[in-house]
Amino acid sequence: MSKLNVIYAVSYKLEIMKGYCMSVSLNTQSLQGMRIPRNLEVWRLGMVNYLEALKLQEKLASDRKISKISDTLLSLQHPLTYTLGKRRTYYNLLVPDSELKNMGAELHYTQRGGDITFHGPHQAILYPILSLRDIGLGARKYVENLESTMIELASLYGVKAHGQRKCETGVWVGERKIGAIGVRISSGITSHGLAFNIDPDLSYYKHIVPCGIADKEVTSLRKETDMMLPGDEVIQDQLVSCFARSFGYDNIIWKHNASVNEIKIHTE
Amino acid sequence: MALRMWASSTANALRLSSVSTRPHFSPLSRCFSSVLDGLKYANSHEWVKHEGSVATIGITDHAQDHLGEVVFVDLPDVGGSVTKATGFGAVESVKATSDINSPVSGEIVEVNSKLSETPGLINTSPYEDGWMIKVKPSNPSELESLMGSKEYTKFCEEEDASH
Repeated sequence: MSKLNVIYAVSYKLEIMKGYCMSVSLNTQSLQGMRIPRNLEVWRLGMVNYLEALKLQEKLASDRKISKISDTLLSLQHPLTYTLGKRRTYYNLLVPDSELKNMGAELHYTQRGGDITFHGPHQAILYPILSLRDIGLGARKYVENLESTMIELASLYGVKAHGQRKCETGVWVGERKIGAIGVRISSGITSHGLAFNIDPDLSYYKHIVPCGIADKEVTSLRKETDMMLPGDEVIQDQLVSCFARSFGYDNIIWKHNASVNEIKIHTE
Repeated sequence: MALRMWASSTANALRLSSVSTRPHFSPLSRCFSSVLDGLKYANSHEWVKHEGSVATIGITDHAQDHLGEVVFVDLPDVGGSVTKATGFGAVESVKATSDINSPVSGEIVEVNSKLSETPGLINTSPYEDGWMIKVKPSNPSELESLMGSKEYTKFCEEEDASH
């Protein structure tokens, strides 16, 4: 068949398809009430040591891979912690390890994407353990949704943040970074996630080149908003709601007695 | 939805007939990912090219498009082994590291060293310059359970259309 004939065939078929699609979409609308609702199970973990949270994520990710559990979200904070991503950009740590120990901070090497970062009290962390294949997202779209989550939370406090800057994933207010992202995707299951600065001690960022970006400031919700901030737990729950909305979950199920020690119980 | 799927397979048919040397940023491939004849495909979006005793492995155009710009590639060493459907390396894009799974089992005989300097080759040339590893398959019958180009094209369309 010549290319011209193919094009004629295409346009003829398009006309037929148009009619077909109109009837299909009407039928879909009437079926919408029967769509299976999407649930998100959320674990509120409080302040958790980095390695313990990592072990819990690994257990949940392997459970998610075999569909033993559904999409799960961990909501937590870490004590003073610095972490490096898979690229091991150690040169972005500006002080020796020993000085970190003296500060009472831990340093961990991880398998996530992204550069060096800091975690500490008053920084809200979300670790989604999702099956990207089930929700039909690639890495790029997943990360965009994580950015939207933090942008929406900031807007609740009148702060105009933006994401999706070329080569610089994360959430910014002007030229100042308020939210960081570092993710791992293994067999289509996510781990690690996002960190949003509510009101951490920003001086800890002086010991690193945050996310490998030398000439930009780090900021926090406290610094950027004129509004009174409620307690961290309220803001963290709001962040969870923003996440559920960004990812189109119908229901949030708050897990009772959520704890990192869950994995110890399972293995006994 | 049905219209888009049908139009997509027509576009792929048109492009397949004009062979794999077509540059990546042609008008058709902006909308639809390219799929090549003669390769086999895994449902985790890796491709395999089996020539003689060597199988070359990489990730597909569909995969690189969904990943975003690749900034880092982690590959194993020559002499190591890979197992079907198990991870052998990872790519980083948009602050996400994504594991890459091998479609076949075997011994690694060559690794694409260009990817450490130029990881973006995976985006610009996923089927040629962006190849990742070459393997001596230990069990060539594993290739039979992989998808052909038409099956994989349909698989991608169904994946994209269902969400």
